[in-house]
Formats: sequence, structure tokens, C-alpha cells
Amino acid sequence: MNTAQLLNGVALGSLLMVLSSGLAMIYGLRGVANFAHGALYMSGAYIAYSVSDRVSFWAALVVVPLALAVLGVVLELVFFRPLQHRSHIELGLITFGLALMAERIVVLIWGERTLRVTPPEFLQGTASFLGVDYPAYRLAIIVIALLIAAALVLWLRYTDVGLHIRASSQDIETAAIMGIDVDRVSLIVVAVGAALAGLAGALAAPYIALDPGMGNAYLITILIVVVVGGIGSIGGAMVAGMGLGIIQTVATVWSPSFAVIVPYLALTVVLLWRPTGLAGKRVS
Amino acid sequence: MTTTALPQDDVSPTRTQRPGRYGRGRTTLIGLAAAVGVLLAGLVVPYVVTDTYRMSIVLDATLLSLMAIGIGFLARHLGLISLGHGAFFGVAAFAVGVATTNWGWSPSAAVGFGVVAGTVVALLMGVLVVRASGFGFLMLTLALAQALYAINVQPSMREWTGAHDGKLLSYDRDLTFLGLTQADVMNPGLFWPFAWISLVVCATILWLVGRSRFGTTLEGIRENEERMRFSGYDTFLPRLAAFVLSGAVASLGGALFAINSGYVSPDILGFGKAGDGLIAVLLGGFTLLVGPILGTFLFVYAQANLNFGGNLHLFTGMALIVVLVFMPGGITIGAQKLYHRIRRGRR
Amino acid sequence: MNKRRLVAAVSVAALASTMAACGSASSNSGGDDGGDDAPIKIALIPPTSGALAQFGTDATQAWKTAVRLANEAGGVDGREVELIVKETDTDPATTLRAAREAVTQDGAQFIGAVMTSPENAALNAQLESLNAMSFNALGKDDALVGEQCSPYAVHVVQTSSMDINALAESISEMPGEKWAIQAVDYSTGHSAAETFKAAAEEAGKEIVLEQYAPLDTTDFGSYISKLKNSDADAVFAVEYGADGIAFVQQADQFNLDQQLDTVLGFNMVSEPLFETLGDTIVGYYNNVGYDVNADNELNKEFVEAYTEDHGSAPYYVPADNFLAAETLFAGIEEAGSTDPAEVSEALRGLTFDSIVGEVTVREDDMQVLRDSYLGKVAKGDGGLEFEIVANASADVTTPEADPACQL
Repeated sequence: MNTAQLLNGVALGSLLMVLSSGLAMIYGLRGVANFAHGALYMSGAYIAYSVSDRVSFWAALVVVPLALAVLGVVLELVFFRPLQHRSHIELGLITFGLALMAERIVVLIWGERTLRVTPPEFLQGTASFLGVDYPAYRLAIIVIALLIAAALVLWLRYTDVGLHIRASSQDIETAAIMGIDVDRVSLIVVAVGAALAGLAGALAAPYIALDPGMGNAYLITILIVVVVGGIGSIGGAMVAGMGLGIIQTVATVWSPSFAVIVPYLALTVVLLWRPTGLAGKRVS
Repeated sequence: MTTTALPQDDVSPTRTQRPGRYGRGRTTLIGLAAAVGVLLAGLVVPYVVTDTYRMSIVLDATLLSLMAIGIGFLARHLGLISLGHGAFFGVAAFAVGVATTNWGWSPSAAVGFGVVAGTVVALLMGVLVVRASGFGFLMLTLALAQALYAINVQPSMREWTGAHDGKLLSYDRDLTFLGLTQADVMNPGLFWPFAWISLVVCATILWLVGRSRFGTTLEGIRENEERMRFSGYDTFLPRLAAFVLSGAVASLGGALFAINSGYVSPDILGFGKAGDGLIAVLLGGFTLLVGPILGTFLFVYAQANLNFGGNLHLFTGMALIVVLVFMPGGITIGAQKLYHRIRRGRR
Repeated sequence: MNKRRLVAAVSVAALASTMAACGSASSNSGGDDGGDDAPIKIALIPPTSGALAQFGTDATQAWKTAVRLANEAGGVDGREVELIVKETDTDPATTLRAAREAVTQDGAQFIGAVMTSPENAALNAQLESLNAMSFNALGKDDALVGEQCSPYAVHVVQTSSMDINALAESISEMPGEKWAIQAVDYSTGHSAAETFKAAAEEAGKEIVLEQYAPLDTTDFGSYISKLKNSDADAVFAVEYGADGIAFVQQADQFNLDQQLDTVLGFNMVSEPLFETLGDTIVGYYNNVGYDVNADNELNKEFVEAYTEDHGSAPYYVPADNFLAAETLFAGIEEAGSTDPAEVSEALRGLTFDSIVGEVTVREDDMQVLRDSYLGKVAKGDGGLEFEIVANASADVTTPEADPACQL
């Protein structure tokens, strides 16, 4: 088990971490399992492709979160808010329908071919890190993801908005009674969650080839991460995401065919042993 | 909070408020008579739809409906949405493939084996999942089905399931399936009676179970599991039994599907097909027994006719959203409400 | 009450079993032979969605060019040729449905452009009862000329064995002594690795690493790290489609090329991917099924016509499908009829001239015997292109007919 393999695991884990924190936020607050999260991630990646093709990769890193935040706002205003009294499962299924549509729309716009995004010049090739020659771009992903995670945690912990978010995630009715503008908080959470998904997609674009199946491929994994981490616990999702990324990569080194089943095994074991997930409230 | 929207205001005319076993018994007999009538009427279909292509679509829809009514039964009586029924359908299909191609069994025995295999998988999965509910249940069924898919496409499984290529069934041309030769069993018109009878019988069984005391127990569990336990009911076994029953029905569909089509694709176990099945059930609505069947027929029809350039999912996604938002309870409930509104309007 | 229910149930069962005997066979409507002047109807069932959609479109375009040329020359056996284009999503069930529709509703007698091996396998099993012939120019699985063969299915494209044998022939053409094998964990990946290993060892090379990645792997980091740590100075890579692109892209990021003299791809680096892969792949080798610059009349005519119709030069997918059309037309001319049974009979053992030279349809398994090539990616004036490095003829590459094929 050498450093390069460990770094591979951390790189994948970083991506999962960013992606699942967004999902955890939305689930924690709205109670909705956002099945469209994979589609948001995919849209982020494809928009990043178009932007970096025309302008630059850095521009993409700015444009994508903004664009996806807008999508998040639409999602909240059109679906989550008006239908908030419906059951959570129904809302989840609506997002499932949205995911199906979004995936097809992406294909209609960008085509079926697998696309490739090249990272910016200075991040191409390898850099020397901890004694190994490791792709510079992956190192960048790790750094950026850790920064985002830290920023997210600090934001939630030390700002007023963060306090409101945590309160609403814990008990939305009481929070409303206490005077928190739950609708506004909700809007922020969904927008930020979607932006995070898009950002993860933009970051992943030069790392993994873009293809129409990429949303689905990760959707199930991040749903598992969120459930394993614990519903409503963003920190739990982040830890679970990083953990799963590392475990899966290590498993791939040892036995690739087994590694594919690791997430499912993890979910089953965790849910049976601890139905609340590793760090959260009751799952249902 | 309950997980499904039930028609709160409109009461279906057949569900009378009259107490007493006489009332219930009579409804049951009416239902059975209706089932027989529907069964006999349906057997006429191949004489009406003489074209092979259209008949095969009808047949496909019928076999998929078996999976759908299984999903619908769980959703209706236990409030559990399952993404795992594709696993039972698929396992049964592959089991038929293995039995005929690898072990040389006769198709009839193979189909029986397929049903048993699927039911066993339902039992094993049920033990793991029925303690959960809501989203946890959904995720567990999804994860376990995906795990089965991943195992199925392993190259080491190639000899048994064909891995990514799928399983082409081959068996001795002399062996017959309940009287049909190999060539005939693939003819939709000739295979139809088996599929149709299976569907009607299974639907009737599920309906009877739903109306029985067992069904009421299930609904009690759906409403408030804790209260049922406090009242002295064991909640684990009834749920497991319901899960296994719905799995067995789905398995029958899968086994018949395999013997009819002669080829089993690994995609049958995948997330896509499971999602499609669930969408079909939601579109039709699971409050009424015929809802999932209607939804499945609509879905298969759409797949055959609206799939220009792969846009099927665009339309089904849209349809799902529209139905969930404006017609919770599915098209059947929407139609029922419309009917009542018209009736009330007339008075 | 219970007794009545029981009686009802029993009578239902009794009635049901009697009715079960009375199902009716669905008939085929349409699909009759027509008179001597009836057009020749060919159904195409390409994928129109998913990763293979582009190949589906290109295959269809090749058939269209073939049909245009044939009709302009007065038709085949005096009759006009007509194309019926269907769609599928590569699920064999959908493809079979489309095939049945084409035969029973539209009257097609010949089928082409069916893409994947599983679809072809499922179709082959039904051809006789459909009374139609299939011309497979895309699915390469060996079993299609083995236990899944059919006298009604002509295998126009090279099988995977033919491809890999061609590569094995030319190992000495490529620099590199210590080879690593990176293959997809799939039947073709394994059989390609097997054949390659045997040939490499025979040529005196050493295999230092062999690893398999599951299909749909997106992150090749762990595999590439292992490759870097091994002693290998050459890599044989069998990764398709999106997997192949991800692998090439990530190998580039890890600077894997630096320590390698050769990267040999098997169905990994092909013309449609040149643009996506970019200059990274200059110098990569890959098996090539069709040489667009081949110097024969028929090929030149084809390349010109195809480029005129569709705006770009053909590569192996359109070429193989054009060849499929040529095979079909040759069969019809030879048989003097369009009855699939007669055409099938005529094609067995038939030799004719085509865009890839003189080819023969082997009568034991309906495999078209043709050359295979090894190409190296080079930078040409119009972008990247293949430089043909070696050429292996059919008698070298094609294994003996599989006895499991019972025609």
C-alpha cells in the first residue's frame, strides 16, 4: 500500500465529500432525498466543459457554482416550497423524475460522445509530493475540496445563517416558531447544495471523462454516503464520503471486482447495525 | 406521517360502509366473479390482436405487470416503496436460464425453479430490509439490488449468467413448456394464456390477501408500527410475509419472461429497469389494484412507440412529475376523482 | 360462505385449464415475396441513444451510400433497393421487437446495422423463424460464428480472435521487451490478454504485470500507479469507449508515457476518438480493421462517394457496413433471387471483390475472410490519422471454424 494509492483514495474521497455534503444539506433541511443530485453534478461537469472550451477552466470554476445555484433556487421555488406538505418520499420521487429529464436534456444539448476537459497548463502532468510523482491536478482537487469542507463547517458553525440552518435541520417547525425565516434558510441551503454538486462536477471534469452516465454512476454512491454518514449530519456525510473513497480505492488495489460491491456492503452493514447512520437522526 | 396520499374524501362505491361479514363476503364473491369474467374475456385477446408485433407488446406488458402488482401491493398495504423488485424478476429469469441451459432441465421445471429462486432471494432480502421503513427501506432495496447486479456481471459468473452479455437460453428442442414447444413458447399469441392467467390469478390473490385480516394487520403496521407492537402484534413476520409474497409474484413474472423471450439481459437487474417499474406503478397509482397494471401497459406502450432517439425517459420523467404533483395516487385515482366529480355535478 | 368461495375457485381453475389449450398463434401479416420487380427491402436497426449512437448513425450512412450507388447502377439483380431504418437502445429485447416489426409490418427480408454482440446473438436465434438474413458488421464476439451461428447470419466484420491474432502476429514490429497488460474485466478483455500473452512469450517478450478493471471504471488511478511501479516499458491496453478515454486521459496526467516505448491499444484508440483524445495518442498503436487509403478501385470509389454524401472520410464502422451491403448484393446476384434461404445458400463459400480486396464467405461458419492491420497514430495534414504498419491476411489470423457451429 503505497502513498500514490492512498492519494488516489483521498482524491476520490474528496470528490465524494464535496458532492455528498450538498446532498446532506438538502436532506437535512428539507427532508428530501434529492435524486436529482447526480444530474446536478453532471450538469456542472458539462457546463464546465463548455465554459472551459470557450473561456478558461478557472472561469468555469466560477460560472458553474453560480449557474447551479440558480438551478437550486428554481428547484426550491418550483418544487420543494409549494409541495412541502407532501410526504418526503413523494418529493424524492419528483426529483427522480427531474433527474430522468435532466439527463436526457444534457444529452440533447451536448451529445452522447464521451468528452474530455483538459486541466489548466500548470496543473497538467505530475508534481512531486511526499516522495511520489503524483498528478498535479488530483492534488489540486484534494486541496480545493478540503478548503471547501473547512469553509462549509466554519460557515455552519460560526455564522448566524449557519445557526439558522442547523436549527432548521434539527426541527423545522420549532425553528419557524422561534422566528427563523425558514423559507429563506431553505432557499440558501438548496442553492448552496446544488452549487456544491455543480462544483464537484466541474472539478471532476478533467479527472474523469464526461459521459451521459456519470450522474447515475455517482448518484447511488452519494445516496449511500449520506445515509451511512447519518441523515441530517453534514459532517457525517463528509467523513463517510472521504472514508468510502479511500476504502473503495484500497479495495480496488486488492480486488477490483470486490471493490464494486463495497458501497452496498457498507450501507447494509451500517443500516443494520446503526439505523440512524454513523452520526445522525433516525433514517426514516 | 404516512408516506402515501390516499383518497381522503372520495369513497369508492364498492367499498360500502355496511358492517358485518355478509357485506364483505358478498363483495369478495363479486370480486371473484369479476376476476373469472376478466380472465375469460382476456383469453380472447390473441384472436383480436392477430399481429405478432402488437401481441408481443401486450405480452411484455402483462409479464412486467406481475412485477408491478408486487410493488403496488407493498406500497398500498405497507406504505413501502421498493426499488428491489427488479432483483426478484431478474433472479427468477436467470435461474430459468441456468436451469435450462446449464442443467438441462425441462422448461416447465425450470420455470418452477425460477419462481422458487426469486422467492428465496425475496426472503433473504426481506429479512434484511423489512425492519427499515421509508427512505431507509428504499435505499436498502436499491443497494441490495445493485449489489446483485454487480455480482451478476462479474466475469466469473459468465458461465452461469453470461455476465455483461446476458444469458441466451438453450434447451433440447423436444422439451416442452406445459405443452408448448420451444418455437411456440416464443410466439406471443400461444404463450398469452399462461401470462394472462398468471396475472389475473396473482392479482386476485393479492386482492384477497389485502382484504383479509392479514391485510388489515399490514395496514395497521403502515399507519403506526409502534402502536401495533404495543397492541401485541408481531410486526416483523407480517411485513416479511408481505414482502416475500410480493417478491414471489414478481418472480413468476420473471420466470415466464425468461422462457418466453429466450434471452435474459443483465440490465434486468439494474437501477434503470427498477426505476422504470416504480415509475409505471406510480403513474398508474397503487391505491387500486389495477393501477400498477394500467401504469405498466402505458409505460410499455410508450416505450414501443415514443422512444424516438431515446427520449423515453424525458417523457416518463415529465409524466411522473405531472402525475405526482397534480394526481397523487396516480392516474387511476385521478380518473376516479374525476368520475365522482362528474357524478356529483350531475345531481 | 367458505364453501361457495371454494366452489368458485375450483370452477375458475377448471375453466382456466380448458381455456389454456385454446390460445391462438399470432400470424405474420405482410412480409410476402412480391413479384419479380418488388424492391429489395433492408431493415437497419442501429442504436440511436447511448454511447454507441454515433456508430449507429455512421453505419446507417454507409448503407445509404451503398444503396445509392447500387440504385444508380440499375439496382441489384435488376431490382431497386430500399432501406427501412429502425431504432433500438441496444437492449436485445428492443432490437428483436424492431426486427419483428420490420419483417412482419414492413416486409424486410434483410437486416443490418445491429450493433452489439448480445443483440446479434439474440437475433441470430430468431432469423430462421423470421425468414430473414442478418449482415453483422459490428458485433465481434467469437461465439457469433461458434455456437450462436446461423446460416442466415453473415459475419462481415473480423471476430475478436482475428483482431487479436493480427496484433499477436506483429508484436515484433513494436519496441518494448517488458509488457504490462491492462484489460477490461470482460470476456473480450480476458481472451485478448490470453492470446497476447501467448504470442508475446513466443516472441521472447516478458509479461511483468496483468491487471483487469471492471467495465465502467471511471478512475484508473490505482491501476496506473501500479503500472508506473512495475518495470514495464510497453503496455497492452484493452479498454473500450468511455473507459478507454478515461484511461488515456489519466495515464497522461500521471505521465505514464514517459517510461513507455509502446502503448498498444486493442479497440481502444480508433478514428472517432481522435478528436477527443488529442495529441496525447500520437505514437500509440492499435488494431485497425480497415485501411482508408487502400489502393483498390472499389475502395477509392467508396471513399469518394461516402465523403461526398456525408462530409468526412469513412473509418472502419462505415466501411464494414458498406462491405456488408456488398456481401448482400453479391449474394443476391449469385442466387438470382431475394429469398433469404436462397441467398444464404448462394453466399456459402462465395468469393467476390470488395472494398477490402477479394474476400470469401467461409462456408463452415459464414465468416467473411479478410485482412487485418496494425496501425500507428500519426499527425497528418488533416489531423490525426493511422499509419498502417503491418498487414495480416485471413489465413494467418482466422482460427479454424468452431465445431460448435452447426449450420
